[in-house]
Amino acid sequence: MHSHSESSSNTPNNGAIFADGFWHNNAIFAQLLGMCPLLGVTTSAENGFWMGAATLLSLLGSNLAVSLIRNHIPSEIRIPAYITIIAAFVSMIGMAMNAWMHEMYLILGLFIPLIVVNCAILGRAEAFASKNTPLHSLVDALAVGLGFTFALVLLGSVREILGQGSWFGWDVFGQDYPDVLMFILPPGAFIALGFILAGVNLTNQYLQRRKAQQQEQITATETPS
Amino acid sequence: MKLSQEQWRMVLALLAVAMVSTALLALTQSLTKAPIAQAERQALMQALMQVLPKHANNPLEDTRNITLEDAKAPTVFYIARNRQHKIQAIAWETIAPDGYNGSIRILMSVRPDGHLHAVRITHHQETPGLGDGIMNLDWLASFKDKSLHNTRWAVKKDGGDFDQFTGATITPRAVVKAVKHGLNTFEQQRQLLLNDAAPSQHPEATHAQSF
Repeated sequence: MHSHSESSSNTPNNGAIFADGFWHNNAIFAQLLGMCPLLGVTTSAENGFWMGAATLLSLLGSNLAVSLIRNHIPSEIRIPAYITIIAAFVSMIGMAMNAWMHEMYLILGLFIPLIVVNCAILGRAEAFASKNTPLHSLVDALAVGLGFTFALVLLGSVREILGQGSWFGWDVFGQDYPDVLMFILPPGAFIALGFILAGVNLTNQYLQRRKAQQQEQITATETPS
Repeated sequence: MKLSQEQWRMVLALLAVAMVSTALLALTQSLTKAPIAQAERQALMQALMQVLPKHANNPLEDTRNITLEDAKAPTVFYIARNRQHKIQAIAWETIAPDGYNGSIRILMSVRPDGHLHAVRITHHQETPGLGDGIMNLDWLASFKDKSLHNTRWAVKKDGGDFDQFTGATITPRAVVKAVKHGLNTFEQQRQLLLNDAAPSQHPEATHAQSF
């Protein structure tokens, strides 16, 4: 898989970090991490959005905290320290949602505390925040979190539109639409995800081919006839 | 065993992380405690408003706690009264343990004469499109005015009075059974629930919370 920018010795710039976290190394599309909340809560676009938002906030908190203490934590105990930090942020976000978004908290239920074990978050703490400045770590968290949210909203949208004929609760196909229930049920999640991944791969292939063509043109114009 | 300097560093680092995390959690907990209680109260209030008839008191504060047989925690019965403090209906939550996918929580309200006033589903995980027909308000309305004596408490397939759904019999069967069980509970606890004078404290206080 792609692994540019983060391990390179020169300081990565914010744009590269963002492109990497949001698209090239997207937690869902490229790394297939965090499948449990992805398949579990995306029965509607709204559920996907708030699950993504909770994950994004957890990532911002944990990446910043891990980056701030990265020079003070002996490497032998870094994993328990990261887990403690992540668990604290997730619990705080869970309490806040319970207080101020009670209905959504009840819908997402167990998936909120389970953010603690979303390996995409521990992965960013270990692979990025422990080696980079707080600012870069925040950019990375924002990119990965938005990429994750984008994937959840995309899958939630496909399932809600096909399964219930609505999008974020808005009627799309009119009252006569025969709901395709399979897309609300678990098998629909897997099938829709399969098609989305195929679409992402086709997009990446197209982008690569276009890049290669552009380079060919450049070399062609540079070579004297 | 004596710890080396390296080991002390680890212990202290982990201790510091744990202490700061705990402090942050404690702070958040103290900030969200009241709003969470408020949100839960509001959710309960909204559910109660759907099953109780017009009332002049605050059912959230006019309750009876009765520990039913084979239950660990007491069940809370919410009482709705009119201006003369006459009981209009009593609502409580009952659980159908035998849904198709886990238990179904049902909020039901009964009038003093033993007839159902309303039934609502507060929590279920039944199959969308099949078992979740129990959320249908028309189907739930078929419980209105039913009592133990004027109704055959089963789905039509089993020779009863309640519709089942195409492809889903287990779910409505579980709900019908649980509501009937609830009516039996009401009969058993009738004395305790209905045998009380109006709350003796100043009746005006109950109007404080307007809804």
